[in-house]
Amino acid sequence: MNFSFSEDQVLLRNSVRAALDQECAAAHVRAMMEDERGYSDALWGEMAKLGWLGLPFPEEQGGAGLGLVELALVLDEMGRAAYPGPYFATVVLGGLGLSLGGSAAQKERWLPAIASGQARASAALLEDGLDWSPSATAATATPAGDGWRLSGVKRFVPWAHVADVVLVPARAPEGLSLFLVDPRGAGVSVTPMVGIDLASRWSELRLADAPVPADALVGPAGGAGPVLEALLRRAAVAASAEMLGAARRCLDMSVAYAKVREQFGQLIGSFQAIRHRCAEMLLEVENSHSAVYYAAWALTAGAEDAAMAASICKSYVSEAARKVCGDAIQVHGGIGFTWEYDLHLYFKRAKSLEPLYGDAAYHRELIVRGVTGA
Amino acid sequence: MDLNYTAEDVAFRKQVRTWLEHNMPRHIRNLEERRAWHRRLYEAGYLGMGWPREYGGQGARPMEQAIVADEMARAGAPAPTNGLGLGIAGPTIVVHGTEAQKRRFLRKILTAEEMWCQLYSEPNAGSDLAALRTAAEDRGDHFVVNGQKIWTSGGANADWGLLLARTDPTVPKHKGITCFLINMRQPGVDVRPLKQITGSSEFCEVFMTNARVEKEHMVGRLGEGWSIAQTTLGYERGGRALARVTSYASQYRQLVEAARRLKRDGRPILDDPITRQKLGRVWADLEVERYGALRTLTMLERGEHPGAGGSITKLSYSEFEKRFMELAEEILGPYGQLTEGVPTEYRLEVDTAVGDHGTWAYAFLWSRAGTIYAGSSEIQKNVIGERILGLPKEARADRVGARR
Repeated sequence: MNFSFSEDQVLLRNSVRAALDQECAAAHVRAMMEDERGYSDALWGEMAKLGWLGLPFPEEQGGAGLGLVELALVLDEMGRAAYPGPYFATVVLGGLGLSLGGSAAQKERWLPAIASGQARASAALLEDGLDWSPSATAATATPAGDGWRLSGVKRFVPWAHVADVVLVPARAPEGLSLFLVDPRGAGVSVTPMVGIDLASRWSELRLADAPVPADALVGPAGGAGPVLEALLRRAAVAASAEMLGAARRCLDMSVAYAKVREQFGQLIGSFQAIRHRCAEMLLEVENSHSAVYYAAWALTAGAEDAAMAASICKSYVSEAARKVCGDAIQVHGGIGFTWEYDLHLYFKRAKSLEPLYGDAAYHRELIVRGVTGA
Repeated sequence: MDLNYTAEDVAFRKQVRTWLEHNMPRHIRNLEERRAWHRRLYEAGYLGMGWPREYGGQGARPMEQAIVADEMARAGAPAPTNGLGLGIAGPTIVVHGTEAQKRRFLRKILTAEEMWCQLYSEPNAGSDLAALRTAAEDRGDHFVVNGQKIWTSGGANADWGLLLARTDPTVPKHKGITCFLINMRQPGVDVRPLKQITGSSEFCEVFMTNARVEKEHMVGRLGEGWSIAQTTLGYERGGRALARVTSYASQYRQLVEAARRLKRDGRPILDDPITRQKLGRVWADLEVERYGALRTLTMLERGEHPGAGGSITKLSYSEFEKRFMELAEEILGPYGQLTEGVPTEYRLEVDTAVGDHGTWAYAFLWSRAGTIYAGSSEIQKNVIGERILGLPKEARADRVGARR
């Protein structure tokens, strides 16, 4: 039993942090908030070179063959930097989705392209009703000739406007199925949904009898449920890692500020009202760290409690990050509420991920089912 | 990172489990029976496991200690007696005691031949422990002790006490304190039970009037008592963490069973979506405590001491326990307040140290103690803020100069 990072994992974290400190400072995040596409090709290419884009894929598909602990380490750092770009959408939603459910040919087509930085991907897991349960999918897939025609509306699809392929669940006559959709294809329209976190992008994806070929089907028709559930768990833990990173940054900024800001002739960090709040923030960050890396390990190792650990992780970290990032604004006072000061970049990153891939309430219900069997 | 237990640890766990199945007493009715159980645990090698072999310990790894504690919690085994001897006094003597003190005291702690208590807090020195006033006056070959202690756990049965007393009132308050081992069975020591909000008396008040402490029973050097106390407060925390969570989990499952029976609008409370949300949250919090315990255990196994990090652990679990017990009370309603006449299905099956059936009422009230004893939550937050986050210390009157 060893709940600590290996030397390689520490090296990975340090190199990701160094690269993002260099290439993804707050000024870069702000520039991308104004950018039409919202991310930098140069940094994307750099990430491909550093091996981040293929990190969890098998070596034969151009990946590094690493696990979710390493992926969480990268996302933890990306949250800390409020990285603007389709990394999560591409590597976690698209890449892991294909890894879990794709055929050999589909993996061969997409994973090396993702790893080398040539392709971007996403998954459309949410519809109008915001129900995360895959069985709630209402979009339809009707057989047409050799292929299918898809209809339905997907919401909050991350980075669909720059994706080359989107995983789309839809209900076929055989049951819940999963398809690869070209977001620039016929019958598909992509409309921006602009949220408070301008450094991450969402779209509405509308499918109006959109034709897809036979080989766009991922896994057997009617058999997408388990793949989607497995993907949702990984996305929940990966999003938690990113929220954790954002919370770490908010804590670091608050502590640094409390050491220099004076009021009533004293450093505000000497007041218990501030110091105790910072101590509570650290407690939440440490507990979130435990929850994220335990779940990442459990999913990678196929531990008995992996599904529970994923739900525990997302429900815990969603609330912890909300508290830590919110408290950070409070510790800063007025300056924390200004656009110029960078704190809101991290606050908004955590907030934008809080309701995604199952909010705390969704995962708590799964936890109770798991622990009570009822 | 590999959270699987090694084959060796799995085998050891199985061995402990089997031993408990064959040796665990069903009920313990009095102190003598508890001492007998304590001795059985000791003879099996399950007490003082981390202590050096030459003084009766096993020289075992932290993981082995954690496994024994965890298996005992899992089986609902009665606790050994002499908790303050095993948890505080013994480890203090192991680290800071003289060779003669180690030979004189350690083995008798392990066999429970001599029971121990801890004499730290005073009526006017709680969170501000260093303000303690009990005085120890040097009389050549011995010290004479005068003063009052409070919140002395295990005081009623104690033969010996681990004492903090002021030996020099002229220096700044943290520097004038010395640590002693005091014989509780002497005329100058008067022990009175302190009745708590639970109605029971796990704690005592101790009055010392011209009590005698031999010079050879001073621990560490003169004036070193404060730093010794700082290290001993952390001893018990790491190894017990896993077992504590296992006990919570056992209580949680009993709460779920109650929620299946109790009804609201003709349906089990367990079907109520609001209750389910609260139960889901508490289970998540409980598991996060378990993950944290594994992190602490990893550090201990590598020979690292959690240090001020122990304050995060203590703050986290003690505050969690209060939230957990508040939820239990919500679900159980008035059943959760019963101390007598508790229907069998709403009892809490735990070891209560006094040998009675456990009650949720007792567990609920007891949860209020955790955020006060061994450094209140407020003190833990100060420690975290100052020693981990490096935030500035507050301006405090007692940091200006020597005590009056």
